[in-house]
Amino acid sequence: MPECSVYYQPESISEAVNFLASSERTLKPLAGGTDIVPAMRKGEMNIDGLVDLSKIPDIRSIKIEDNEIKLGSLCTFAQIERSPLIQTKASLLAQAAGAVGSPQIRSLGTIGGNIANASPAADTVTAFIALDAKARLESTNGTRSVLVSELLCGVGKTNISSNEIIAEISFKIPSENNQSGFIKLGRRKALAIARMNLAMIITLHDGLIDFARVSLGAVGPNPSRNTNLEEFLIGKKPSDSLIDSFAQFAGEEVSRMLGSRASAAYKCEAVKGIVRDLSSRLFLGSEQVVI
Amino acid sequence: MAQYHLEMKVNGNSVALDIDPGLRLLDVLRDCLHLTGTKEGCSEGECGACSVILDGELVDSCLVFAPQASGREVITIEGVARNGELDYLQQAFLDAGAVQCGYCTPGMILAAKVLLDRNPHPTRQEISKAISGNICRCTGYAKMVQGVELAAASKEAKEGAVRA
Ligand code: FES
Ligand code: FES
Repeated sequence: MPECSVYYQPESISEAVNFLASSERTLKPLAGGTDIVPAMRKGEMNIDGLVDLSKIPDIRSIKIEDNEIKLGSLCTFAQIERSPLIQTKASLLAQAAGAVGSPQIRSLGTIGGNIANASPAADTVTAFIALDAKARLESTNGTRSVLVSELLCGVGKTNISSNEIIAEISFKIPSENNQSGFIKLGRRKALAIARMNLAMIITLHDGLIDFARVSLGAVGPNPSRNTNLEEFLIGKKPSDSLIDSFAQFAGEEVSRMLGSRASAAYKCEAVKGIVRDLSSRLFLGSEQVVI
Repeated sequence: MAQYHLEMKVNGNSVALDIDPGLRLLDVLRDCLHLTGTKEGCSEGECGACSVILDGELVDSCLVFAPQASGREVITIEGVARNGELDYLQQAFLDAGAVQCGYCTPGMILAAKVLLDRNPHPTRQEISKAISGNICRCTGYAKMVQGVELAAASKEAKEGAVRA
């Protein structure tokens, strides 16, 4: 068991950022721990210690303010999955949180940790990207607010500096008449190659799609919006044939994005399946779910 | 090595001990408190053998640093039976033949307990979902789902009898 020479448990954000700023050691904020605890044991973390955020009370809340939903970074997946507010106002996020790992992992893992880990297939991150969510970062230099998509810069990499912590994630509430959802393939770590996820939001006006967000995970280094797929839907009428052509186009997009990567052949076929299932749910209200 | 003063509640009793903060809740339960009903399997959150209840939520104790549990309430399999009498869930698992080697059983029982505490009449699908983080190499799961159904029924019968 590698030694943990510093273990600090601040009770407020300001205590946490002051400690991060004043320490000369290499420290990492600890949120739920689902990734850091096993990684520390395996000696994969090159750090001197941890700043455990679990005793900070005010970064666990779910609230609405100024037409935005604001989530404390330490909200667990279970909390998000069960929140009636998230279920009704941002169903894709509730579904994404409910798709993470196992019940045990959902009661520990946090949305802030999901962003900070920058895994290519992070479920809630795919939903946050579709929502154009922003993260509020705190440090002794003050506060900055950044789009989640701009924080992520590669597999396991972010622009969060070592003296910053994520305090909050927020997004505009999608318009009342939206349809949104999330779907994924591949649950267990052992099946990493089969992992892929998709989050979508659409709204209709006079029977035609007038707004679309499509975000894909595990097709690039980090989840990202695909504006070609979004534009494809605009002005079209939801129908079986639209589902067919949209799924086909998604396959082409994924093949373009992955190029000659080994997983390309599998993923450009698989994406058609998840696009078909999620679009049927959103366009036609069909509840057929494939996992 | 840094020391950490840990105070928490385990199975209803307050405990206080000085530990290396790099220990996991699993290590403290098994090695310091000798509650060896909690099992270690994969050590990375895949098998659920180490499941415990932390403030009413099911968690993998191999994914929690012990200091994260400070001030909180932990229930392990040892806290399920009362006064030497098996809990209705434990009895139902025995009656349904849901225990073979037993390695996964403590975690399974706790997963089922969290489910039934929240949802006394779960569907089969809800039961499967609730135990989906617990791997069993022996039973094939069908008997466990039956065990949970049996427990739900026996709990209801018992409570009905008390009310009547
Ligand atoms: S030992 Fe904790 S989940 Fe397997
Ligand atoms: S009874 Fe042997 S692992 Fe489940």
